[in-house]
Amino acid sequence: MRSRILVRAALAALATLTGIYLIAPVFFVVPTAFNDSPFLAFPPETWSLRWFGAYFADATWIASTLNSIKIGLLVTVLSSVLGTLAALAMVRGRYPVRAAVGGLVLAPILVPYVIVGLAVYAAFLRLGLTQTTLGFVLVHTALAVPFVVINVSSALYSYDRRLDLAAMNLGASPLTAFARVTLPIIAPSVAAGALFAFITSFDEVVTSIFLAGPDMTTLPVQMWSGVRVQIDPTVAAVSTLLLLITLSLFACAGLARALRNRRLNRG
Amino acid sequence: MQSQLSRDAGTSIDIRNVVKRYKGQTAVDDVTLSVEAGEFLTLLGASGSGKSTLLNIVAGFITADAGRIEVGGRDLTTVPPHRRDLGMVFQHYALFPHMTVWQNVAFPLKRRRVAKAQIASRVRQALEVVELGHLAERRPAQLSGGQQQRVALARAIVFEPQALLMDEPLGALDKRLREQLQLEIKRLHHELGTTFVFVTHDQEEALAMSDRIALLRDGRVVQIGSPQDLYDRPASRYAAEFLGESNLFTGRCDGRTFVDERSGAAFTVAAGGNGVELRNGSALVVRPEHVMLAADDAPLPADHNTLDGLIRDVTYLGSGLRVEVALPDGRHLVTRTGTRSGLRPQPGLPVVAHWHAEHAVVVADDTGAAVSATVSETASTVAA
Repeated sequence: MRSRILVRAALAALATLTGIYLIAPVFFVVPTAFNDSPFLAFPPETWSLRWFGAYFADATWIASTLNSIKIGLLVTVLSSVLGTLAALAMVRGRYPVRAAVGGLVLAPILVPYVIVGLAVYAAFLRLGLTQTTLGFVLVHTALAVPFVVINVSSALYSYDRRLDLAAMNLGASPLTAFARVTLPIIAPSVAAGALFAFITSFDEVVTSIFLAGPDMTTLPVQMWSGVRVQIDPTVAAVSTLLLLITLSLFACAGLARALRNRRLNRG
Repeated sequence: MQSQLSRDAGTSIDIRNVVKRYKGQTAVDDVTLSVEAGEFLTLLGASGSGKSTLLNIVAGFITADAGRIEVGGRDLTTVPPHRRDLGMVFQHYALFPHMTVWQNVAFPLKRRRVAKAQIASRVRQALEVVELGHLAERRPAQLSGGQQQRVALARAIVFEPQALLMDEPLGALDKRLREQLQLEIKRLHHELGTTFVFVTHDQEEALAMSDRIALLRDGRVVQIGSPQDLYDRPASRYAAEFLGESNLFTGRCDGRTFVDERSGAAFTVAAGGNGVELRNGSALVVRPEHVMLAADDAPLPADHNTLDGLIRDVTYLGSGLRVEVALPDGRHLVTRTGTRSGLRPQPGLPVVAHWHAEHAVVVADDTGAAVSATVSETASTVAA
């Protein structure tokens, strides 16, 4: 009995420490953003909103933000479609090299991003794709597809295929059965995958550093150079804004899921 | 409850020389079977007998290795499932969880591009037939198992398919609900006049519902006929054991005399038998309700076969009694009697079990040598 209490206390302490470790950066970044000092000083001595103002007033910041949003949205659409199709092939396909295809699709998560960035840089320079939306979208999509595949394939594994048989028996072609029955049922997982895809692209620094340049850059790259070149507290303000956006996206996703479950079970 | 769905004469289904093999195992072994228009045919068999595989081949979900499927004379062998126009009811309902009851039932009509107004009236009618009109806006997760299966039925009949296929539709329901739905499905069959093909492993269900039963074993049809045919005139020991309870004796049959190999007793059997070939040994089947009990000194009709024994066990069944009679050689006989028969059976009472020669059926012993030595010790209770 006593040892059980001890174990529980130890686990609680471990969990708390892990939690603190995970969100500690937030406790540094958010106060810093409201700092009046022209340096990244912590803890702040006087408070102000001036760095948020600096962000909105700076055309470079805004341009890179818009680039990131545009790239992120394109990547979301593209990787959701490709990732869902890949998941279908991995879960339902019957062909000899299925296992190999699965490994290949998930490879981008395993290969170090620096190597991807370097390889892509070398190739895209020749093709003239560096500093272009298409270039960023292509690379980010490759990195984002695995997240969609993981989400969607787990939904497909637990999906009851008899529903598709029923749909076909009732007169739906395989394509209609997919559109009317399979897709609506796995939609939450596709949406979760899409969310991960957007964030993967929106957050991506490593490969983006290789692709970015004076003509086109993304928000994370801009932030990185903001910290590296001059110690600019605007970075903290931007980070705080990003944090807010990410949190609200996940909150929306959670809310949508809760609403859907309620609709299906109680209505 | 009168259905407004149109009643038709139904469509015939012809299954011709259908074969399906899985990695060396033959699931369906050259089955030829005709389902008559408007008939209620049950594919009955143990698990692994190929009954579900056969139904799925008819529905088009499984492609046969050989053979043909014809519905109403039209060859459907290579037609994809969505163009076969056959309704199907699954064991686990397979209702679309993201749609309401109404949307589920409207689904096949929408796929057929039926006009909106007509969809509304047909869905309403189909839901009325299964008495679920008031639950149209619910979702499947909010319904009980029985209600879900009724929705599945409504969805399968709403588009007036050429035939209705049912794959153990009552298997997931409890006994009372199952019996209630059996009646409803029978009523539906009567009202619609559509051809029904019903798959089950439950022999009571098959006996209660079917016009005809096809008994499957190891991918083959071992007997096909009316429930009475299968029960009263089983073609094999397997059929006799699968349907209902039976008392079995193994031995040899010579003309009108059957010699029990265990006791050496000779029984008279009805002339002609049922035309089965008895080369591989034979078995004598006597149904429990045909075995009567008498006090051991009572006079018996001359054309009755008799066996002496001691009553071992009496079970009260409400409508009657089930009595087990121990035979001198260790086997036992099962009988069913009304509660008001002359004799008051009690354990330990010496009795004569007797039956009319007409009620004993000689069948081929097809269950294999390993079992045949121990027939009646185990075989008297078969209702698995």
